Amino acid sequence: MTSREYTGPAIKVNDLSFNYKNLKAVDQLSLEVPRGMSFGVLGPNGSGKTTLIRLLVGLLKPKYGTIHMMGQPPSRKMSRYIGYMPQLASLYTELSIAQNVDFFARIYGVRNRAERRMQVEEAIQLVDLWPRRRDSIYNLSGGMKQRVSLACSMVHRPPLLFLDEPTVGVDPKLRVTFWEYFQNLNKQGVTIVISSHTMDDAAHCDRLAFLREGRIIAEGTPYELRQATGQSEATLEDAFLYFVVSMEEGNESK
Amino acid sequence: MSPSNTLSIALRVVRQLVRDRRTIVIILVIPLVIMTLLRYSFPGESSLLNNAYPPLLATMGLLFSFMLTGISFLRERSQGTMERMMASPVSRFDMVVGYLLGFFILALIQILVVVLFTIYALGAHHAPGALWRICIFQIIVVTVGVNLGIFISAFARNEFQMVQFIPLIIFPQILLCGVIWPVDQMSTALQWIAKFLPLKYAINGMTDIMLKGQGLLDVGYEIGILAAFAVVISILAALTLRRGAA
Repeated sequence: MTSREYTGPAIKVNDLSFNYKNLKAVDQLSLEVPRGMSFGVLGPNGSGKTTLIRLLVGLLKPKYGTIHMMGQPPSRKMSRYIGYMPQLASLYTELSIAQNVDFFARIYGVRNRAERRMQVEEAIQLVDLWPRRRDSIYNLSGGMKQRVSLACSMVHRPPLLFLDEPTVGVDPKLRVTFWEYFQNLNKQGVTIVISSHTMDDAAHCDRLAFLREGRIIAEGTPYELRQATGQSEATLEDAFLYFVVSMEEGNESK
Repeated sequence: MSPSNTLSIALRVVRQLVRDRRTIVIILVIPLVIMTLLRYSFPGESSLLNNAYPPLLATMGLLFSFMLTGISFLRERSQGTMERMMASPVSRFDMVVGYLLGFFILALIQILVVVLFTIYALGAHHAPGALWRICIFQIIVVTVGVNLGIFISAFARNEFQMVQFIPLIIFPQILLCGVIWPVDQMSTALQWIAKFLPLKYAINGMTDIMLKGQGLLDVGYEIGILAAFAVVISILAALTLRRGAA
């Protein structure tokens, strides 16, 4: 079945667990992400966001539980439909911006030269680095590398995008451009999973999962999560703290 | 395995090397300096000197390809690009063969420069018509070195650790495979260990081609063993690149 024919949820995770030796990084986690939305995974450092994303893209094997993306378990065949932007910029520093983006277009199967050239240009234009496309990665700032990394992850126009902290080091103006682009991709049916610890990113997502100690402590739209606090002026930060306190109180009463 | 992915990786490796001009100069100049030092460190006994060239050429082929690939592959692991490739449709064999092809081109240039310099500038003796056979044999040696580099890089977490592996992998081979002293004059136990070291076959083959004028078929045993080493090590190297490994 092709990604266009599939009509079920983009991602379905059931009872997922993963340990690093004795540390539970992801603990009995279940979630469902409908197609064509931006789904935010929010939590402090060490809450399991990156491990969850690495499990979803097939870089880690779950100890327990199942993962289905577009109805299929993660596999090399499925990886063609996935774009993955790791937390580190992960680029070839000797190569230019254009050479990096071109390489990822090639290995994700954009074989036609004219098509590839067009898609590479489009991806570099989006991250606003076209005039510097011939510059080595060596000569770029941290934020610029982050932008190139984003271009590499979506150059093959995947229906599923996993972005691990994509806006770190990106200036506020460009961050707005990114979110406009992500929302535009959502309208075209692209599902985006974004991990972040900033509430600014969270506000842009259609749905959010608050993560703590490898578990989802709350899930819903930003509005629903704010409303759950019972305070009309509550921010997402307040909502997160509210659910953390609720979880801790629940643990103590046990 | 996908040929287009393999070629894309090979092309990327070549592009990386071409843009890193300082490394290219170092790779080409250092072997020439070593061969020149060898030439002028001998007090004029030309037969002894001629016997020293083949082992040194084989050792450099293995050593430089091992170091270069090992450190490059380690960087691929440490800077996160490996993780990125593992999340893509590229298979582990695409990666190993792509790297092999990419470094092959550089190794081929290095072989030609070093062999031509050693023969024509330093006047090393070689059997008539042996030049192309030397080059082909050296390519097989380099293949072993490239695969060994990819495999060993899995056991190092940073460049510093990788550098520590160089004496561990290379020095026992230099000591036991006939660079300093002929293998058949060593104790039985050491001769037995040498049988499991690729440099022994690289030196035997290179010496037979360069000094005795033997053909590639005559050194078929050495080529076969080196090819077996390359295949086994490349399978082991590919196994270190598992998708889904923590």
